[in-house]
Amino acid sequence: MLVTIEELTAHSLRLRRELVEICASKGGHLSTSLSCTDILVSLYYSGILKHNPSEPEYPDRDRFILSKGHAETMLYTVLCDRGYFPRSWIDNHYRSGDCRLGGHPDKRIPGVEVSTGSLGHGLGLGAGMMLAAKLDGLDQTCFVLLGDAECTEGSVWETAQFAARHHLSNLIAIVDRNHIGASDKTEHFTGLFDLEAKWKAFQWNTISCNGHDCGQLVAALMQAREKGNCWPTAIIAETTKGKGLSFVENDPMWHVRQLNNPDDIEQARRELQEANHA
Amino acid sequence: MPDSSLTMRDAFISELMQFAKDNKDILFISNDFGAPSLDRFRKELSEQYINAGISEQNMLSAATGLAMSGKRVFIYSIASFITTRSYEQMKLDICIHKVPVTFIAVGACYAYPQDGPTHHATEDIAIMRALSGMQVYSPSDAFSAQKLVTVSLGSEGPTYLRLDKGLWPHLERTDYSDANGLSVLKEGSDVGIIATGIMCHRAMEVAEVLGKKGQSCRVIDLWKLKPLQTSALTSAISGLSMLVSLEEHCLNGGLGSLIAEFILDNDIPIRLKRIGIPDEKLYTYGIRQTLHSEIGLDVESLVQTISSFMETV
Repeated sequence: MLVTIEELTAHSLRLRRELVEICASKGGHLSTSLSCTDILVSLYYSGILKHNPSEPEYPDRDRFILSKGHAETMLYTVLCDRGYFPRSWIDNHYRSGDCRLGGHPDKRIPGVEVSTGSLGHGLGLGAGMMLAAKLDGLDQTCFVLLGDAECTEGSVWETAQFAARHHLSNLIAIVDRNHIGASDKTEHFTGLFDLEAKWKAFQWNTISCNGHDCGQLVAALMQAREKGNCWPTAIIAETTKGKGLSFVENDPMWHVRQLNNPDDIEQARRELQEANHA
Repeated sequence: MPDSSLTMRDAFISELMQFAKDNKDILFISNDFGAPSLDRFRKELSEQYINAGISEQNMLSAATGLAMSGKRVFIYSIASFITTRSYEQMKLDICIHKVPVTFIAVGACYAYPQDGPTHHATEDIAIMRALSGMQVYSPSDAFSAQKLVTVSLGSEGPTYLRLDKGLWPHLERTDYSDANGLSVLKEGSDVGIIATGIMCHRAMEVAEVLGKKGQSCRVIDLWKLKPLQTSALTSAISGLSMLVSLEEHCLNGGLGSLIAEFILDNDIPIRLKRIGIPDEKLYTYGIRQTLHSEIGLDVESLVQTISSFMETV
């Protein structure tokens, strides 16, 4: 790894500030993006994900699939920052202009492997890609980021079964475990169950970690990449929806709420500025 | 001479196997269904065979991922299950990503008659042709099903094959080209019957009866439903003033609908009578022959319906 954990943490804070400015000017999914910021940073800035912004489709790259496609605002922030497309795309085409950057990821965007938006698709798409890689003897890994509410979809568990059956150790699911869906806390519609135990029951390796601690995330991702056995791995990343903004954190209503109130924008900037000095 | 001792499915899979032997990128995914031809495939090409189990949603997502990685995927399932259970995956995975996945969908409409509406693909033509980029084929015999192997292997996008069960006689045809997408099975000038799938056999029976009554009936097998080959279709119905569409499918959005759209969009001066399954008779059980009689798809009813139609023109 060429960067330090401190540097990754600094990237996270910088990108959260970018995100706030984008959401304030263009709209976007704020709270779910803040939930997975550190996960994306730990993938895209640590060297763990094999990728090349100047050649997005080079064959030997790893795959990253944002199955929780509604976190597109942070994905675009990261992809732009890494050089997949210019900042003018966000300024002129995110949810505006020709919508080159739409409200959910589209395969035509450089750096986006597959189109997502409806939940429960990404893991299956990744499983197919990794089965092909295995059949062809290619050293690739696919990281799929799912929401914990997304794990209510039956298709997720169809794939969990399929991936275990085909020994897809090159498939890594990262569950953004923020305990909140689109309108409510997950315990109110899924009940209180042990998510990690559920993946284990499907024969997956599991790793639980703090999804806002880049050190823990990098360790988990590296462990998963090592493919110690034949099974796929699920990383349960415990997170806080809206992480970093006190008035957004853990409030289900912020899943769809826009950051367009001047007082909210000011508070968001202030809190992230203060975090910078902390 | 085409082998009419094979079902459409087995003719297709047997032919596919010949190509799969030389192309390791061809993968066959079963939705936990077997077939005599598949037994051979599984035995001889085991590494190219996957039983995905009863999990249609994952099967389509995974097939998309496989196809995006260069695999030629053929999915074998019951038509009713693969179209409606996983329709979102059809749209968002298969079609948005424009992958060359072929669906060997067995059980056109009432092919599993006593098994009831759970197994009846009564609306698959309507919903599959609504998907952008999806090619839709509905062959009428084993020969035409077998021919679709090279068609689907040459395709750059998804292909849906609506196959019937059981053995069906070979229909003599002089033309079978994908560029035309149809075959004129019988020439005639008084009325045309355009049918798809096994209803082509029924159309030939009806034409024979009408012929004895002095009516010259043209029969067209439209086996490529999407994209519609408009030039060939225009030519096939030229000179006719009356046309009957005949399908074992709901009337909403099926063969009759697409023919109606075609003649309207192209200002073709022809009267059209659509015959298929009315909305209120869709969800049922029974012997296929009985179902046909109840709906009016038996020979006697069809002769009467078409004769009445001809009298009104």
